[in-house]
Amino acid sequence: MHAGFERWQIRACIWALTLVALVIVYLPPVYLLGVSFNPALQPALPSLGNISLKWYQALLHERGLLRALNESLLIAAVVTLVSTVAAIAAALAYLELGRLRNAWFLLVILPMFVPGIIQGLALSVVFNRWQLAPFWGTVALGHLLWALPFAFTVVLTSMTSVRRSYLLAAADLGAGWWRRTCDIVLPLILPGVIGAIVFSFLLSFNEFARSSYLVGRQNTLPLDMFGKMNSGASPTIYALSGLILLVSALLVGVVLAMAAGRRG
Amino acid sequence: MFRIGRGFALASPALLLTLILGFAPLAVVVVWSFWAWDPATYWIRPDLSLAAYAQIGEVGRWWVIVTSLFKAALAALACLAVGYPAALAVHFVASRRMALVLIGAFTVPFFTSYLIRAFSWRLVLGRTGLINDWLMQAGIISEPLDWLLFSDFAVMIGLIASYLPFVIFPLLLALRRVEPSFLAAAQDMGAGFLRTLVTIIIPLTKPGIFAGFLFVFVMSAGSSTEVQMLGGAGASMISIMINDVMRVVNFPLAFAISTVVLVALIGAVLLGNARFGLTRLFEDF
Repeated sequence: MHAGFERWQIRACIWALTLVALVIVYLPPVYLLGVSFNPALQPALPSLGNISLKWYQALLHERGLLRALNESLLIAAVVTLVSTVAAIAAALAYLELGRLRNAWFLLVILPMFVPGIIQGLALSVVFNRWQLAPFWGTVALGHLLWALPFAFTVVLTSMTSVRRSYLLAAADLGAGWWRRTCDIVLPLILPGVIGAIVFSFLLSFNEFARSSYLVGRQNTLPLDMFGKMNSGASPTIYALSGLILLVSALLVGVVLAMAAGRRG
Repeated sequence: MFRIGRGFALASPALLLTLILGFAPLAVVVVWSFWAWDPATYWIRPDLSLAAYAQIGEVGRWWVIVTSLFKAALAALACLAVGYPAALAVHFVASRRMALVLIGAFTVPFFTSYLIRAFSWRLVLGRTGLINDWLMQAGIISEPLDWLLFSDFAVMIGLIASYLPFVIFPLLLALRRVEPSFLAAAQDMGAGFLRTLVTIIIPLTKPGIFAGFLFVFVMSAGSSTEVQMLGGAGASMISIMINDVMRVVNFPLAFAISTVVLVALIGAVLLGNARFGLTRLFEDF
C-alpha cells in the first residue's frame, strides 16, 4: 500500500469513481450484447428463460452484410500486412535515429490527430485527380494512416525490453545489424509485433469516418451497418454488433494476456 | 553501432506512407482552398481567392467551428475528471493483478468499434431505453425524458465514453514520475490526502494531464460518428458541416473549413509538444 492511500475512505472514494469510468465505457455495449439475445423485436434485456440465438442465425441470410463483411476483411488484411511491416521498420529506425527520435515519433503519430472526415476527403479528391477510381484499395490506403500510428506506438512500447547493453554485447562479439535484429531485437519485441497485427486489423475493420469518402461500389461493413442502424431495421444489427464487440474484446484480451504473461 | 543512414532506410516505408498519403493530400487541400469554383468544369481553377474563407462567415459557420471546439474542450475536461481517479486507482490503490485487469479494461475500447459503441448508447438513452425505464420504474418521472437522446447531452456522453481511455494512458505514464518517497515525506510532515494530491501528485503529472486533454480535445473536435449517431436534427459539428458542404459539391468551402480546423488542431498538438514534450511521455527507452 502506498503512503497517503491508507485510509479506507480515500480508497473507497477512488474505487467508486473508477467504477463510474468503467460503467460509462462498458454499460452500453454490454447492454447491447444482452439485448442481442432477446428474440423479441423491441430492444430490451431478455428474461433468463428466453435467451435466444435467433438474430445470430438470421445473420447468415443477410447477403448484403456478408458481402460488406468480405470487403472489410480484405481491406483489414491488406492494411494489417502493410502497417505491421512499416511499423516494425519504423521502430527499428527509431533505434538508429539518435537525436531525430522525437521528431520521427511525432511525424509518424501525427496523422492520428487529423479528423477522419478531413483525411478521407483530402485523399478522395487527390485520388480523383489522379483518375484513381474508388475501390477497396483506396479505402485501405486511408485506413493505413489510422492503423500505422497505433501499430508503431505498440511496437515501440515493446522496444523497452531491448537493452542497449544487449546490442553492444552482440556487436562486440561480431554480430552485424541483421544478426542483432533477427536474433535479439525481433524476438524481444514479438509481443509488440503481435499487438501491432491485431490492433491494425481491428482498427481497419472497425473504421467508419475514413471510409465514407473513399469507398467504391461495395460498402465496407461499418458503412453498411451505419445505414441499417439508422433505418430502424431488424434486430440482426444487434447480433452483428454484439458479435463484433465480443470478438474484438477477446482478441485484445489475448494480446494483453500474452504481454502481461511475458512481463510477469 | 547506430547509423543514421540505416535509420533513414528503415524509416522510409512509414515516412513515404505518411508523407504521400497523409501530408501531401492535406497540403493540396490547403492550396486548393484558395482556388475558385469553376461552374464550367464542375471543378476548381487556380486562383488566389479568399472567397471560400469569406463563405465560412455565412450562415453561422464560424459559430459551428467555435462551439465544436468548445464542446471538445468540455469533453476533454470531463474525461480528465472521470479518468484521473481511475488512473490513481491503477497506479496507487489496486493490487498488481487488479491493475493489469483495469489497464486491460481501458485498452479494449481503443480497438472496438466506435460506431457500435456510439450506437449502443441509443439503447441506453432512448425513450424506451434503459435510463428512462429505470427512472419511470422508480417513480421519479412519469413521462420518458426526451432530451437524453438526439441532443447535445447525448453527444457529450458519447464523446466522453469514446475517448476516456485516451486520458488514462498519458496519466499512467506521468504517474510513474511520482516517487512513493515523496508521498511518504508529505505524510510525515502532516499533509493530508487532498493536500498531497494538490501540491505533489497533480503538479508532477501535469504533462500527462495536458497530453490527455489534448488527445481527447483533438479526437472530439474531429469526431463524426458520435454526432451522427447521437446528435439531434440540428446538431452540428465540424465534420457534419463538411459533409453538408460536400453534398452541394462546394469544394473550396469544404477545403477552407478543413484548413481552418487542421491549423487549429495540428497547431494545438505542436504547441503542446513544444511546451510539455509529449514525446517524452512515451519514451522510456
